[in-house]
Amino acid sequence: MTLERSPLHAAHVELGATFVEFGGWEMPLSYPSGTLAEHLACRHGAVVFDVSHLGTVRLEGPGSFALLQATLTNDLGRIAPGGAQYSHLLAEHDASVLDDMIVWWLGEERFDVMPNASNTASVRAAIGGVDVTAGRVVLAVQGPRAREALAAVSPEAARVGRFRTVAFQLRGAACVAAGTGYTGEDGVECAVPAEVAGKVLADLLAAGAVPAGLGARDTLRLEAGLPLHGHELGPGITPLQAGLGWVVAWSKPTFAGREALAAERASGPRRLLRGLLGDGRRPLRSGMTCARTAGPIGGGQQGAGPRSETSDLAGEVVGQVTSGNFSPVLGRGIGLAFLAPDTPGGAELLVTGRGAGLPATVVRPPFHRLALPARS
Amino acid sequence: MEIPETLRYTDDHEWVRIDGGRATIGITDFAQSALGDVVFVQLPEPGAAVARGATLGEVESTKSVSEVYAPLAGVVIEVNPELASSPERLNSDPYGLGWLCVIEVATGEDFATLLTAERYRELTQS
Repeated sequence: MTLERSPLHAAHVELGATFVEFGGWEMPLSYPSGTLAEHLACRHGAVVFDVSHLGTVRLEGPGSFALLQATLTNDLGRIAPGGAQYSHLLAEHDASVLDDMIVWWLGEERFDVMPNASNTASVRAAIGGVDVTAGRVVLAVQGPRAREALAAVSPEAARVGRFRTVAFQLRGAACVAAGTGYTGEDGVECAVPAEVAGKVLADLLAAGAVPAGLGARDTLRLEAGLPLHGHELGPGITPLQAGLGWVVAWSKPTFAGREALAAERASGPRRLLRGLLGDGRRPLRSGMTCARTAGPIGGGQQGAGPRSETSDLAGEVVGQVTSGNFSPVLGRGIGLAFLAPDTPGGAELLVTGRGAGLPATVVRPPFHRLALPARS
Repeated sequence: MEIPETLRYTDDHEWVRIDGGRATIGITDFAQSALGDVVFVQLPEPGAAVARGATLGEVESTKSVSEVYAPLAGVVIEVNPELASSPERLNSDPYGLGWLCVIEVATGEDFATLLTAERYRELTQS
């Protein structure tokens, strides 16, 4: 299979990017400054990601609103034209999340739906529309200084509100900006035609935005506690299990998978997505097993005293890690995990796999906003 | 890609600095570059005996986990204490401050079986 490339591929090569395959695309993994520096630049300054691998499916014409409203889980009635909304497409038979996406409501009966790269086909099968992914670039400008950098390109785009969209012109080209992102920071995502994208990227970099790759995008979204399809969402995983009940508008008479999801709501989800904070630097990793501790695993307070790094102390298994890595802000291993629904917040678990036994505490993300106790 | 002439290498991208019967071990510039930002290093306790080719430790970056293998048999006599809090030294100075450990090499081990800088350079370019 030939990998798709962003229209800005040559610019990324020029910037010294290393590349990674993701969802059928070859996209920047990191630039020479490295994932950690890119991550911290987003938390403290401004970064720009090329996220052209996200799909854009355009729905236009009478019936577009009604079709989306009757298919996706969230309620477009909560927003209006010019708004943006996070929503789910569920499987009819078991309410699995087929995709999670942002819907840009651009005009009365005009929508750009932005699925994950590898799910564009299944989303089109459900809602139709025209795939306009090719020929446009999506740049995500993120971080506390993102709007400052973007103002150098378009003051109009830089002023777009949170979960709002705005159409704007650049050198005569029609562009759209949305106050959305995937980092836990303020920011704007801009869809621009390929022919002006190189100039936009160059202007953003000149204005102080740091180029960032999918490596930092993943550590940022994990630190913010945001789900990634294929890890926290996917076959067999419902929005209720993922803790995303707010994405489901029960007030709507229909959406795909409503009946199956209602059954789960009545019986209660069999597992829930939770945050795990490791007590050391070692990253938690996807696939690791979470167990209750059979006995005390450390003397005194959390983090105090040496702890055995063996799995001898593991008790009853309560779940599995879906994503894990190192939190650059906390300096600790972190992860998201599906756990038995009765696992209390603050519970201390032993996370095991690959020969490691890592003590971890059940916490509520976003991780980068947690106040850690002073360590001895 | 820096490959110091004075060191010996393995095809698993470890470097070895030989000093009498002792060998200081680290990972190469090529290895750290491929791994990306290192965030955690697992090393053996001093006193641990290691067989040639056995797992010596693990290096974890934001994108992957890689094992480090013992280039020579022996006993670990020292580990780099700074790496617990500053594993990024493997990226910033792989042949210097980023050293991993020192092994008291077992008798009978033959340094000549390790790769020369020239051979290792060929390996990384192939």
